[in-house]
Amino acid sequence: MTEKEVSITINGETKTAEVEPRMLLVHFIREIAGLTGTHVGCDTTNCGACTVIMDGRAVKSCTILAVQADGKKITTIEGLSKTPGKLHPVQKAFVDKHGLQCGYCTSGMVLTSFWLLNKKKKVSEEEIREAISGNLCRCTGYESIVDSIEEAQRNLEKEGEYTEEEIPVRRGR
Amino acid sequence: MDLSEKMVTGRGNFVDDINLPGMLHLAFVRSPYPRARIKGITGGITSRDIDMKMASVGEGASAGFEYLEHPVLAKEYVGYVGQPVAAVYSENAYEAEDLVDTVDVDYEPLTAIVDPEKALSADPMYPGLKSNILADRYLGEDFQVDAPVVIEDHFVNHRIATDPIEPRGIVAAYDGKRLTVWISTQSVHTIKQGFCQVMNLSPDAVRVIQTDTGGAFGLKGGFYPEYVVAAWLAMKEGRPVKWIETRSEHLLASRPGRGVVGRMKLYANREGRILGIKGDVIVDSGAFAGGSGEFSSRFIAMQITGPYEINNAHIHALSVLTNKVPQGPYRGAGRPEAAFFMERMVDKLADELHMDPVDVRMINATREPFKSPTGLTVEASKPFLEQAVKAMDYQGHRKKGNFGFGWFVLVPATMPGETARILVEDRGIKVWLGGTAHGQRHDLFVKSILADELGVDPEIVEWQKGDTDQLKEGVGAWGSRSAMMGGSALVEAARKLREQVEKKYGKYSVSKLLDGKWDSYEYFHYDKPYTSLGANLITVSTDRYGRVRVDECISYYDLGKVLNMDNATGQNAGGCAEGIGQTLYEGLMFDDNGQMITSSIADAGVVKATMVPRYRLILHRSESTLPSKAKGLGEAPTIGTPVALSRAIEVATGLRITETPINPEYLISAVQEP
Amino acid sequence: MMPPAFEYYAPTGVDEVIDLLEKYGDDAKILAGGQSLIPLLKSRITAIPYLISLSGIKDLSYITESSNATRIGAMTVDSDLEYSDTIRKRYPILMDALGKLADPLVRNMGTVGGNISHGDPSNDLPAVMLALKATFVARGRGGNRNIKARDFFLDTFTTALEHDEVLTEISIPVWKEHSGGSYVKFEKGTWNFSVAGSAVQLRLENGAVVEAGIAITSMGPKAMYIPEAEDYLLGKKFHKSVISEAADIVVEKSQPSPDTYGSVEYKKNILKRITMEALENAFRRSGGVK
Repeated sequence: MTEKEVSITINGETKTAEVEPRMLLVHFIREIAGLTGTHVGCDTTNCGACTVIMDGRAVKSCTILAVQADGKKITTIEGLSKTPGKLHPVQKAFVDKHGLQCGYCTSGMVLTSFWLLNKKKKVSEEEIREAISGNLCRCTGYESIVDSIEEAQRNLEKEGEYTEEEIPVRRGR
Repeated sequence: MDLSEKMVTGRGNFVDDINLPGMLHLAFVRSPYPRARIKGITGGITSRDIDMKMASVGEGASAGFEYLEHPVLAKEYVGYVGQPVAAVYSENAYEAEDLVDTVDVDYEPLTAIVDPEKALSADPMYPGLKSNILADRYLGEDFQVDAPVVIEDHFVNHRIATDPIEPRGIVAAYDGKRLTVWISTQSVHTIKQGFCQVMNLSPDAVRVIQTDTGGAFGLKGGFYPEYVVAAWLAMKEGRPVKWIETRSEHLLASRPGRGVVGRMKLYANREGRILGIKGDVIVDSGAFAGGSGEFSSRFIAMQITGPYEINNAHIHALSVLTNKVPQGPYRGAGRPEAAFFMERMVDKLADELHMDPVDVRMINATREPFKSPTGLTVEASKPFLEQAVKAMDYQGHRKKGNFGFGWFVLVPATMPGETARILVEDRGIKVWLGGTAHGQRHDLFVKSILADELGVDPEIVEWQKGDTDQLKEGVGAWGSRSAMMGGSALVEAARKLREQVEKKYGKYSVSKLLDGKWDSYEYFHYDKPYTSLGANLITVSTDRYGRVRVDECISYYDLGKVLNMDNATGQNAGGCAEGIGQTLYEGLMFDDNGQMITSSIADAGVVKATMVPRYRLILHRSESTLPSKAKGLGEAPTIGTPVALSRAIEVATGLRITETPINPEYLISAVQEP
Repeated sequence: MMPPAFEYYAPTGVDEVIDLLEKYGDDAKILAGGQSLIPLLKSRITAIPYLISLSGIKDLSYITESSNATRIGAMTVDSDLEYSDTIRKRYPILMDALGKLADPLVRNMGTVGGNISHGDPSNDLPAVMLALKATFVARGRGGNRNIKARDFFLDTFTTALEHDEVLTEISIPVWKEHSGGSYVKFEKGTWNFSVAGSAVQLRLENGAVVEAGIAITSMGPKAMYIPEAEDYLLGKKFHKSVISEAADIVVEKSQPSPDTYGSVEYKKNILKRITMEALENAFRRSGGVK
């Protein structure tokens, strides 16, 4: 088959490569851009572990061909915080509210939450649950994830004073 | 770096994130038939190349079934859809998958044995066997009682995929002398043991390193054929080999849990006192020994008597071969089945006698520590029940209706103990535990314990992933055991360390500790059960379609000393969701020919955020007599949720519940015609 | 799982798409958002040697309103409809369906045209378009052709589109005042697909039905339009017996198949109930329930 040249801007950096048309976006991100924070969890577009932001929308990168993303702007979990060494308010909320256990679904959960809270400032618990209904978690029962998103909402509300703080070292007790 | 910070910034290191120079990607040709004779194979790596049989290691392992041991690659016969028959590889994962189609296998399909109850009397699956019964034991003594009330029932817990969001995977490398594998696992030690046994390697020649492990729920304590093929190829080619399971492969060929039938007969008097229980536990073990099928029928039968003082019990524990992937442990692993069978019988007894279900439970609870005829030890359960009922406001819920209550004995997998190592150097502290966390956040309780025991700042304590070079021995993280056994080993290791510091300097101080380099290892041996009690209360509502919505999920658990509250609530909320899943949605379904019908993780029933309520955990304050003071934590909600939820649905619909997942078609029969 | 190899084209104009479709015939398939097609390719159930993406064509994503119709470009992403004021105001029935269509992330990539032209009897938008009496614009070598939704769905994965035609636009008529609709979907447990879906659109005068559209999802080889239910409803006002009888007609015309999610009898039972719920909602939204 004919390889295609693809240029995708990931976290502000443009990656250009000749790829097979069948290459999935998630593999472009993981293997060509070397960003392994985007995960693969299922074959059937159900789990959302591969969620990234593409041109402002949260999408499942395992169900997009890299060639479809040609010319697009992608944000992955690695690029959510714009300041090195600092956490984005959504990331900080997931740290503070124990929003993860094994961590495998986390990138997807954080990015979907980021997209949700960008889209709508004030969300109810029901809207939160609906928004993450395309992201599966098997560890938390979603309890602490919902807590984290509610916390993220509060963090973002205070956005004027709350920018990107230094990564706090989490105390273990 | 803190694990949370690592994960929210995408800096985890999962097995699929490992890329080594020259790495090969492995893919498998799998049986499309539940049962067939192999007449020939062309292409690929086959049993001609790897003529080895699997070892049974880890949780629920069984040995001594030489004839029924799972071949690494199928030889002569296939026994289930998805069984590895051949392997192919390439430098590119896409191409490896393409190559699967280049292998030609000539099968002669045979009639599959699908239903475990029918399998008991079906013709033997393999020539040379007398029957399909893999294990056959009686627990307790046969008895006769003069009981005015005798009730019987038949229960099914269908098979469930473990479905961690990260599937299985391995990277194997060989340097000419030593095999190194990176793997997503619950125990690097069982994986090492597997390699040594199956490939006949000396322990010095194998190193197993755990990667970040994206959930496991019983799945990843086991040893699998794909691991052997990856290692074999790495050794043969002298190049690293990666294999990552797809979700489809997971559903077909990773060992699922449950898959258990119960046939129970309960004897009681008119006051509700249980006089005895008889019954059969039948485990759908799959096509080979080596999963947990052989062990689990006995383990379930042992726990049947639950928190009750029942003096007569006689349970027939049967494990039977079927043409399905071998059964394995799934969170709870035998505990939820036992509680489901018993608690469902107790509710039926209460209904029969028009008594309140908790009153029946109170009458049968034990006032003294009790050892049941099946061998289950339980502390005085009556005081616990009284406190549970009060703490969860049973009476208040009773007035509101549509609620269910259930309770149980949690039997953690304490034996044979666990190991821990503390390494102090460069003013930092590293900790390894013999059981490796896979989503329980051991890092949190490890910090708590060392802050308590050594007085150090938790920030400097770093929990380490498993590595057989760093910790020579170890058991595994499963069966609600880690805070009890791993925690106790860590406490003992910390105390040893304190003593060493005291011995050298006369007095212990944190600065003396951190100034030096110390290495403390402990194997905390423990060879007894250590059970604890738990209770659940659940409320539901139903709609005009018979759909059930869980409104409230309350747990009252004795977790011993809670080492970290985030740990405790997080794990229990997660288990509650899995309990809801088992009851309402989760099942791996097969057609009459033995083909799996379940097609995706969504179809397999993993619950979404919209399907679970807020979770509430109430602690029964107590401490264990173990060094860590902890009791079993992890599996309780998978035991208590299905029983309480089934009862709540019974109350809401008036339908008797005997099967999980509950068939929606059955539920709608309770709703009036429109 | 990864897709098998294929050739990929992303032309910038519809004419080029038609050229390629003519050239490769049945070996070619159009890729819209890919939310149905890519999972199929990954499962390797199907192999498509030539994939022609519409993503390079700039002018296929739009929502425009006029006094008598709403025109939607075929490549409009599902969530653009979901967040569109026009759609929310004009078509509550469509909002019902969008809110239940797969999940929010799939809706951010999947397209309206893809959902419709895939011809999957379990997709939600076909039944809604049937109920709304939409018209689809297909562009072929000879120019544009209008196909009524009723004439579009032929069989499972088969539509009235010729193999060298492209669905470019969906045109939904504006339903005048005192109209309203509802889509009720009964999902398969934790799976987003439906056991059954029922789409009802009504227009009333003095409380009585003067126009209706009723169609169902997952209840046969294709999204099924039920004109008999419309005929029955004409002239009738809201009453429990009316919605029950109308639902009975729908059930009678349905052709469900048994599977792990239920027997034929069960699926018909569900269909009856969701159709009644959709009818009641539609009457209420049209101002026909006091």
